[in-house]
Amino acid sequence: MMPTAQRRLLFLLLALLSAASILAATAIGSVNLDAGQWLTALREPASAHGELVWRLRLPRAGAAWTVGALLSLSGCLMQVLLRNPLADPYILGVSGGASFAALLGMTLGASAAVLPGLAWGGALLSIVIVFSLARGEGPWSRTRLLLTGVVTASGWAALISLLLTLGPDGSLRGMLFWLIGDLSYASLPAWTVAVLVVIFIVCIGMARSLNVLAMGETTARLLGEPTRKLLWAVYLLASVLTATAVSIAGNIGFVGLIVPHLMRLLVGSDHRVLLPAAAMFGGLFLVLSDTLARTVLAPRQLPVGVVTALLGVPLFLLLLNRARIKQ
Amino acid sequence: MSVLACAGLDVRIAGIRVVDGLDLDVRPGQFWGLLGPNGIGKTTLLRCLAGLGEPVAGRVLLQSRDIATLPRKLLARHLGMLQQHTAYVFDSSVLQTVLTGRHPHLGYWQREGSADIDKARHALAAVDLAGFEKRSVTGLSGGEARRLAFATLLVQEPDVMLLDEPTNHLDPRHQLKIMRMVSEHVRRADGSALAALHDINLAARYCSHVVMLFGDGAWCAGETGAMLDESSLERLYGCPVERLEGRQGPRFHPAEPGDPGA
Repeated sequence: MMPTAQRRLLFLLLALLSAASILAATAIGSVNLDAGQWLTALREPASAHGELVWRLRLPRAGAAWTVGALLSLSGCLMQVLLRNPLADPYILGVSGGASFAALLGMTLGASAAVLPGLAWGGALLSIVIVFSLARGEGPWSRTRLLLTGVVTASGWAALISLLLTLGPDGSLRGMLFWLIGDLSYASLPAWTVAVLVVIFIVCIGMARSLNVLAMGETTARLLGEPTRKLLWAVYLLASVLTATAVSIAGNIGFVGLIVPHLMRLLVGSDHRVLLPAAAMFGGLFLVLSDTLARTVLAPRQLPVGVVTALLGVPLFLLLLNRARIKQ
Repeated sequence: MSVLACAGLDVRIAGIRVVDGLDLDVRPGQFWGLLGPNGIGKTTLLRCLAGLGEPVAGRVLLQSRDIATLPRKLLARHLGMLQQHTAYVFDSSVLQTVLTGRHPHLGYWQREGSADIDKARHALAAVDLAGFEKRSVTGLSGGEARRLAFATLLVQEPDVMLLDEPTNHLDPRHQLKIMRMVSEHVRRADGSALAALHDINLAARYCSHVVMLFGDGAWCAGETGAMLDESSLERLYGCPVERLEGRQGPRFHPAEPGDPGA
């Protein structure tokens, strides 16, 4: 258990770093603003720099933070649900359904504005398929959920390959960016923030139940949890988080796997600390990754999914190695 | 009045009859031993008594209420079970793990208070794990993990303790210590216990009552002194058992069929 003072300090630090990263992201880019220009831009939203900061960079940074937090929370939940530290938000096919629907929309020439809606619809279809096939009678079966989810994800992957093969050449690049995960066209609709806030509060309320659940279903039942209900609730919450993230930014990889892991190594596995820490660090991590994606080869923009993988993998290996030495 | 009881309980697993028509009446102050050979269904019966599995027929009553109808949280405040194995997938500290025993006593948003933490430290000290609070559960030895699981059960403060081979992995001193702590538990108000055991002598020394499972649904139950003798134990385990008089009461030695005197 982390002492209260230390916990508060950690949360404060992560909140300040998150705010700082978002502010920095509004100043940095293909056009770099110095401190004076940036302050003027903040005060005058109608000016050219003001437009850049308020209309383009701030929504994008906000979207990056939100998506990072959504994916990290979802990763934490999936890991408890499947009782496997290698689980990630995409493992049960939610993102596959979302991607297929979005790519189908692109193939048929749908406008960019309807893509999030299409993606959410595809994700929902996938959630319903997996839920109804895996549920059945009898006790909770993690194996059945995992197999149903993984096989459904493979099915979506096959359909996506089919679309990529048959799709018009002109839309291939857009499709690829979606599959890697990209924030170039991301906006920050209010409902995504609402999804994050509401589910976050629910999760914090059940954080102690998640701690018990992480010790196994039988242990959780013996300690007073109605595990069947709890596990399906965790599945649905994690799926909604993933669907929301994917619908605005595509399949950004590694964040939902690596951030929960990193935070487990740093703060332990008490979900009352882990969930807020993972959400804030995930947001911070994705804002920084996206800022790099915009600037590293400026004026060309990279899909942020490439950067999260390139940053995340070495960071993760380094921390894993340090954790081993400490033991 | 009984704390835990069952009447006409039929329990099966994978077509094997564990018990047919089991009648048990576990009262405050009683420490029951559950004896039987490997694979006879001791764990299945314990799970059924803990409300984790469904009996084919009959009911399990906790303080006269059918446990199938009790909410799990309420049940967990009165009945706790030490499982045969505990595996930790996620890393966690010893203190945080032992505090999970307070889970059924806390509300949705409630955090563990200093009273809970005191109970946890006290329980850790009782099982000789004082000073282990910050250690990782994944780095514990088999016996230490076993004592941690028992400390978690102590912190849960149930009336009825169900224990599945509580002395597994423990050195002799800690075997006696855990059994003595269960004996102390049953002396408290409403306290009682039922433990699956393979050590006949621990059962003879600490248990007030025993229930034996012979297979094919056959069972018998009663006071330890009347139940444990050479012939019933030979029937139970399928090997000769020699009875010796020790300073702390009778001692039973399993023997090979060809051993002299067997």
